[in-house]
Amino acid sequence: MINLLKHTYLLDLEAIKNDIERLWKRYQKIISDKESSWEDLNEARAILYFVGHLYSEKIALEAIDRRIKFVKPKITLDKFFLIIDRNDVKNFKKYGKDEKFNKLKEFYLTVKNIKNRVENGVYLDEERFNKAYLRLRPKNHL
Amino acid sequence: MTKTIIGKATVIKSNKDYYKIKKETILIACHTHPDLVIVIDKIKGIITELDNKLCHAAIVAREFNKPLLMGVENATKKFKTGDRIIVDFENKIVKKIK
Repeated sequence: MINLLKHTYLLDLEAIKNDIERLWKRYQKIISDKESSWEDLNEARAILYFVGHLYSEKIALEAIDRRIKFVKPKITLDKFFLIIDRNDVKNFKKYGKDEKFNKLKEFYLTVKNIKNRVENGVYLDEERFNKAYLRLRPKNHL
Repeated sequence: MTKTIIGKATVIKSNKDYYKIKKETILIACHTHPDLVIVIDKIKGIITELDNKLCHAAIVAREFNKPLLMGVENATKKFKTGDRIIVDFENKIVKKIK
């Protein structure tokens, strides 16, 4: 998670993708492995919260917000998201020559990819996680 | 940009509630889930308690050109499914109407 944060500061897109995949694979391994412990499950929970919420909704947003002012011609954060989400060809032509726009666009699409990730028919494989979590949850857990 | 919409509300308490939507409705949720896209053609507008430009509701609303009002405190408690409501997106007001 620290690596993902570091690579986000650097906006190293390949490293970001690799870090996310590494976390996702670890999460999958924990919830698939019948030998996983209560401590492991809490590691999976931390990954789920970090990747599915903290990173994709807060850290990524801040990372884009901080850099959007460097895009030329000037663009607001709302317009940036709208252009990409609506696949606005006209504006892609307008901003497509700007390297910073293209980099932020790829970063945003990487983040969106997390938000749209479904495994076993369920968003972020939450059903399997919940089952494993409840199975291992100690009775006296606060 | 849509300024105002009127319609019947559907309050989402669990992900299963998305599958119960059969008619056009204004969706009210704390935050939304990817299952929202299954019924997106029946969604007239979206109201959420959560306010974040990268949450599912915000992304889906942009992708499908649906009016969205975020940050409505206790919306899922103030309204119930079947309530007829008016949503004023410009002034960020949601009201129950008779």
